[in-house]
Amino acid sequence: MCENKSQNKLDQMLSQEMTRRKFMKISGKSLAGLTVSASLLSLMGCTQEQVDSDAITVWTMPTGLLVVNQAKCTGCQRCEINCTLVNDGEASSHISRVKVTRNLMDNDGHGTYQDDWVYFPDTCRQCDQPWCGEACPVEAIYADENGVKHIDQEKCVGCGACVGACPWHMPTLNPETKKSSKCILCGSCIEGCVTGALAMVPWDAVTAAEQKTRKQ
Amino acid sequence: MTTYGWSGKILRVNFANNAITTEDTMKYKDYIGGMGIGYKIIYDEVPLDTHAYDEASKVVLAMGPLTGSGVPCSGRINMSFLSSWTKGYSIVDAHMGGHIAHAIKYAGYDAIIFEGKSSKPVYLKIDDDKVSIEDASHIWGKGTFEANRILVEENGESFDAATIGQAGENLVNMSCMITSVGNSGGAGVGAIFGSKNVKGFVARGTGSVKIADPKALKEASDYMLRELVGGNNNHNVPAVPQSWAEYSAPSGSNRWSGAPGRGWQKAEGGFVDMGEQPVGDIDKIGYRAHKGYFDHGEIADKYMVKVGGCSSCPIRCYAQYDIDPLADYDLPTKVSNTCMPIIYQAAWYPEGIKDFVDEGDANIVICGAGARAVDDYGLWDNYGNIQRDFNYCYKSGILKEKLSTEEYNSIPWDLMIEGDPRWVVEIVRRISMNEGEIAKIGLGTYLLVKEWDLGQEYLDVEYLQNVTYNGYPKHHSAEDVWQTGLLYNIMYNRDCMIHHMTNVIQSGSPYEIYRKILEDEFGEGAVDKPKHYTPMNRSKAKLAKWAFLGKQWHDMATLCNWMYPMTLSPSKERGYKGDHNLDAMYMAAVTGENWSREDVDLASERVSNMLRVMTAISFDIHEGSKNLRKDHDAIPAWVFDKEPDFKAFEAGTVKMDRDDMEIAKTMFYEEMGWDTETGIPTRETLERLGLGYMADDLEKRGLLPA
Repeated sequence: MCENKSQNKLDQMLSQEMTRRKFMKISGKSLAGLTVSASLLSLMGCTQEQVDSDAITVWTMPTGLLVVNQAKCTGCQRCEINCTLVNDGEASSHISRVKVTRNLMDNDGHGTYQDDWVYFPDTCRQCDQPWCGEACPVEAIYADENGVKHIDQEKCVGCGACVGACPWHMPTLNPETKKSSKCILCGSCIEGCVTGALAMVPWDAVTAAEQKTRKQ
Repeated sequence: MTTYGWSGKILRVNFANNAITTEDTMKYKDYIGGMGIGYKIIYDEVPLDTHAYDEASKVVLAMGPLTGSGVPCSGRINMSFLSSWTKGYSIVDAHMGGHIAHAIKYAGYDAIIFEGKSSKPVYLKIDDDKVSIEDASHIWGKGTFEANRILVEENGESFDAATIGQAGENLVNMSCMITSVGNSGGAGVGAIFGSKNVKGFVARGTGSVKIADPKALKEASDYMLRELVGGNNNHNVPAVPQSWAEYSAPSGSNRWSGAPGRGWQKAEGGFVDMGEQPVGDIDKIGYRAHKGYFDHGEIADKYMVKVGGCSSCPIRCYAQYDIDPLADYDLPTKVSNTCMPIIYQAAWYPEGIKDFVDEGDANIVICGAGARAVDDYGLWDNYGNIQRDFNYCYKSGILKEKLSTEEYNSIPWDLMIEGDPRWVVEIVRRISMNEGEIAKIGLGTYLLVKEWDLGQEYLDVEYLQNVTYNGYPKHHSAEDVWQTGLLYNIMYNRDCMIHHMTNVIQSGSPYEIYRKILEDEFGEGAVDKPKHYTPMNRSKAKLAKWAFLGKQWHDMATLCNWMYPMTLSPSKERGYKGDHNLDAMYMAAVTGENWSREDVDLASERVSNMLRVMTAISFDIHEGSKNLRKDHDAIPAWVFDKEPDFKAFEAGTVKMDRDDMEIAKTMFYEEMGWDTETGIPTRETLERLGLGYMADDLEKRGLLPA
């Protein structure tokens, strides 16, 4: 049972990694059943060449497509600032729900001090079967009506199980409040990104682009 | 009790006995932070007759309440210490950007006092409240690029680093500290750390800066981003026409150089077009600054990977290059810089430089090699004086006269003559390693003149650009705002680092627009027409005071003086007027206290007077001078004698007039509340600013004006 569950989760993670790194590239044309047309690329603020070079990560979110373009990320950390100002009422990197600082200096041989300036804002995937939620011993992590996963601060006991369970360590235990927090898709990071390295393409815009492509 | 804005603690590290302690920041609250805290601690703890490299010397690295608060362009550090290289050996500051200021604030510290001397090479490790002194023997002798990389790799995720290079280790006066591969703090701070056997520090902070009113802060930040901020140096109109913009720079060039068709050819996945960046579009602001194009023109695009800059800043003023022609010379190709290192290295080639692959690429390739070299060795250029001293001494034969034949012949002049990029690396190496007589250039201009007995006339040479006789050059001076610029250029013990007025004058904005905005505030006649200046007047003195005080504010708060104050705006709806109340709005939102512009000005005036008092005391101690007007604020002859075909005040010249500048000094001292004969603050002024103890000190030393 446990093994099967783990295998399922592994499949899910691999499939998400597929989305992250190769999904668009493999077919060159499709994303979650959508045609990656010129108009969709334009909405995503990127080029086919950027997709092909793995500079683009796309996540399917309840509210739309979340596009992360590392070719455009200039490491200003305003995504983290906006996140924590809006959600925590303070300015911080560590507890930010979007994470760029941890990639900024040195990430697997890339980054500021590795002479290539490859860094990117890492985001919660809002998994259908969330590793964080399933690991939580007090069931503090729940999905809202849109499928966005929240942490009930009343219930959270600050054990950190969600942090460890998430393959990408996106939830963060706040060292001061001893509570965990994670992305609730508030959009503040995207709103604060000064180069459009983070962008959300709403589903209705995606659909419109799809329809336009089909008509052509 | 929660402290908003300020982290609340100052870290004191004594490298002689390894004592690590913390103190309450709030005892220094009147001095705000950064430069203010630095000056108070240096004044209280380091006698001004201390030599910069003595064990008793200290470096106060400090941030302010706005640093790391989320306020845009608040990623800067101020380091205060006693100068090793200027006339009077008084107080100076190094200013460093990058990302590490945020890390230190989030770790819980407003400032770090580096004191004492370690018996062996060490670095400081700050991991939240776990602070330790670590062995640095494995990175001593290495350049900053490798040292920072090793420290970040060794210490792990989210650590940032700042180190000195070989220049600092070898006690070369012209030395700096480097973080984020190219963000530099200069003024000789490298050698102060070197004298303490301290290679640098690493920091990681998992905490936060507490904000009293986060909603108000977010609104103020968004207001700035949507309506006030322009491009690099806050230039408020684009360099070239954009479809939404009423104006662009008449010359076609300013620091808002991002434009459609321009961009980064070496970006991942190919060309990133910087496009148009209309007012109000936050997600495009990062494409406004294209310093590469501003510095080197179209060729820059060929080598651009992306842009970078400091934490929290939407204006990405660093050009990040992969200059591959350098690989043919076995030199590193990756270069990230925004200032002198990436624009001024051709001056090491008095015989000229030549193109490499493309027409017009000579300068960018040579500057790439030079930027990488000076930043790696941690050699500070004193805003180009180090290159100018070399260039002039070569051309005038001084080098041949001062160097032994053996040394002179050992220098690979052929590389210089051929325009080989390895030449700049070699000359930077020799100076940084303190190798031979030629390394005396690393003493800095003031001491070089003494050492080689070059006489005061050396400092009167126009090419050398010295703005006083104290050892440093002009930095956006009379060429921008005549008497006003020259006045604030001569106030410091290094190049002035004030960008208040060059940001306006060089913006490309129509003269009538910025004249009205400034004259409404400072009075009629505050700003002359470009290339046609008029005699000194009271409005210009008020303008000079505003810029002088304001720069101190930025280094206290801390905010970037290349961006603030928000004098102009790119918004037509606003009549292109910025908002000088923004700094106070930020202070109120962050700290929860009542802050007005007058409060900001008062705090700035306090620290500005501390600079003046400490300079007066140092000049008394080291130069036997009791008159700053005569001995510190003296202006070299070239400023008045240049352009012999022109007379002062004629259209087209920036030649200044001696008598007029004396009137200017008198008016400025009057505005500042300083004695007009000596240029030293009066007791009345000092007491008004809560600096009565400094008046007492001046009186004791016989320096207080009657």
